[in-house]
Amino acid sequence: MSDSLRTRRHERQNLAEEQEQEQEQEQEQEQEQGQGRGQAQEQGHAARHGGGDRPDEVDRARGGDRPDRQAPQASLRGPLIGVVLVLLSIAAGVWTLARGELGVSPADALAVLTGNGDGPAEIVLTRMRGPRILVGAGAGAALGIAGTLFQSVTRNPLGSPDVIGLGAGAGAGLALTTLVSDGPGSAWVGALAGALVAIGLVYLATGRGFASPSRLIIAGIAVAAMALAVTQYVVAVVLRDEGSQLAGQLVGSLNSRSMQHVVMIAVALAVCAPLAALLRHQLLVMDMGDELADALGAGAVRTRTAAIILSVVLCAGAVAVAGPIAFVALAAPHIARGLVRSPGPHLMISALVGALALLVSDLAVQAVPFLEGLPVGVVTAGLGGIYLGFLLIRTWRRTTA
Amino acid sequence: MRTAAPADPGTRAENARVPGRALLGGTRRLPPPLALALGVVLVLVVCLLSLALGSRANDLPQVLAALGGRGEERMALIIDERALRTVVGLAVGAALAVSGQLIQGLTRNPLGEPGLLGVTSGASFAIVVVTALAGSVSGGTAAIAAIPGALAAVALVHLVARPAGTGSVVPLVLAGAVVTAVLGAVVQGLILQMPAVFDSYRYWVVGSLTGADLGTLTTVAPVLLAGLVLAITVAPALNTLALGDDVAISLGSPVRLVRGAGLAAAALLAAAATAAAGPIAFVGLAVPHLVRGIVGADHRWQLPMNLLLGAALLVASDVVARVIVRPEELMVGVVTAFVGAPFLLLAVRRGAVTDR
Repeated sequence: MSDSLRTRRHERQNLAEEQEQEQEQEQEQEQEQGQGRGQAQEQGHAARHGGGDRPDEVDRARGGDRPDRQAPQASLRGPLIGVVLVLLSIAAGVWTLARGELGVSPADALAVLTGNGDGPAEIVLTRMRGPRILVGAGAGAALGIAGTLFQSVTRNPLGSPDVIGLGAGAGAGLALTTLVSDGPGSAWVGALAGALVAIGLVYLATGRGFASPSRLIIAGIAVAAMALAVTQYVVAVVLRDEGSQLAGQLVGSLNSRSMQHVVMIAVALAVCAPLAALLRHQLLVMDMGDELADALGAGAVRTRTAAIILSVVLCAGAVAVAGPIAFVALAAPHIARGLVRSPGPHLMISALVGALALLVSDLAVQAVPFLEGLPVGVVTAGLGGIYLGFLLIRTWRRTTA
Repeated sequence: MRTAAPADPGTRAENARVPGRALLGGTRRLPPPLALALGVVLVLVVCLLSLALGSRANDLPQVLAALGGRGEERMALIIDERALRTVVGLAVGAALAVSGQLIQGLTRNPLGEPGLLGVTSGASFAIVVVTALAGSVSGGTAAIAAIPGALAAVALVHLVARPAGTGSVVPLVLAGAVVTAVLGAVVQGLILQMPAVFDSYRYWVVGSLTGADLGTLTTVAPVLLAGLVLAITVAPALNTLALGDDVAISLGSPVRLVRGAGLAAAALLAAAATAAAGPIAFVGLAVPHLVRGIVGADHRWQLPMNLLLGAALLVASDVVARVIVRPEELMVGVVTAFVGAPFLLLAVRRGAVTDR
């Protein structure tokens, strides 16, 4: 062991003599301090230069080596996964465009985009499937970011706008708005108002803000029950066809979206995503607890409030254009964390995972025979519910084992 | 504040044991026989109101005359209709409350409510599947389908939550949410494909006493009675179970048998109620809490009190549902959700639910 380390030291001596000098200084310091070198930084240096020939020191040095070596890998891993997710999303989008009788091949699509496409392809692209794909990607991304923000500031891996009643509240707002007026503009207002009322009630009911996850969940269940009663009432009292359409919208659907919807979700993302990115540093610190976050200047209460407001706006935006699509906000951050395997909120990756999940689910309701014609929310609720079940069982096994 | 210390650990622990009392702010308990007598009076008053009030208010003398067989014929017909509705309401409310009491007692879980544990979604699922296969179903067939569906869903929820152990309330609730989500997705998929099923489902799912007819009542009644008899048999054993499994076993109580029979009774009652009136939220949660606050921890007193208060609450909610948006009417499920959910929110705020 120490032989190989010595070899490495010799190699590096040739490469960087200055570092070697640094290391010698460190070794001198170490000799002065005796055993007193517990700091990770020093261990890192010592390891890099193969400092210390005694076996126990070698072991300690190798232990300190790990984080240093992993860091560059993780920073590469993130973008790589991002690129793969983008490519997969594009593939799902292209497939959605190209399939069926009205399919638009990528070449035709490019022709339309450059301004010299033919009639049918242009209509399919700009009025039918184009908006559907863009709304799906946008809503998925918004839900992914909303879930990440929420889970991060509540320090609750199961906290999501779904579980605490935000989606149900937005759905109730949406349903009530359809009684009064129609048009995507008022639906947006109704969904946002419903989401705000729901989250406000949950906030009041917990008695300690958003700090206690179990209180949050149970208050969310109560609020969701009320919202659901309102929604079901509206569905039951309107005309049957209207009710059926509303029920589809309330599960979450990407059918017959227009460019108006695309603009709405794009605006929501354009406003909220940069703000969420600005919060990234504070979110990272929030994991350590409110006291430490405050001490490090992150302002725990302010960060939490800001993140939850952003989360509410994003979620309401997604609800307004696609309905309360279940479980994407909950699952996307988990999948992102599993992919990246490093701490911290992965806003970008979660957004991409959300977009991909929604596009693939939407593809499923178009292409899988048994699911054909269903709103996409049915698929995400089914798959997401099963995923959440597995997640819970795994967590519980681990904690009780 | 997150770090704020609880005011007094002793009080909190006690409140957690008797959440109903915590909510009532430490109300002094009534002697149980007096409480029962008051409960009977309450039920009678509510029944009278239910007969008297509707989309049009009738004078009380008119109603009494019709009840005595002396009123106008039209009035008598209206009263007949309302009487049936009231009877169904009484039965459903009582069944839901007792079901809630059993589940709360068996799981030592103040959040135990048939709806949260999957009974409702299992029953909905079964009813929708049967409706989809058979075209349309009467209340009786619905009940026959709903009961195995509800039992299977409860079993599934417990299976999902089992790895978490029994230390906390939250796993069961989350597992219930998971099962509800998955079954709900399938239900949505089915109803959106079939307009006829959707049309009957959308009324049924809110929970309403409007559609209940004599046929429903007669088919559901045997199941309700079976559940009730089982519940009465099990109730005394629940007192022993409340001491903890180990103590109960050492006292010679057949814990597994009690738990199985109790859960079966709870599922029978809740499934029958759901089949008769649709999924009605929160009666099974709120009433047992209230009852515990009034008559204390003894399940033998709790059972009759739950019967009375559950019946009274549901019929009263139905009266409110009829009166509040005259001349239209709301579904009773909407009213109970808005009565029961604030109750749960209040319980969360007091820390009576989660901090055990």
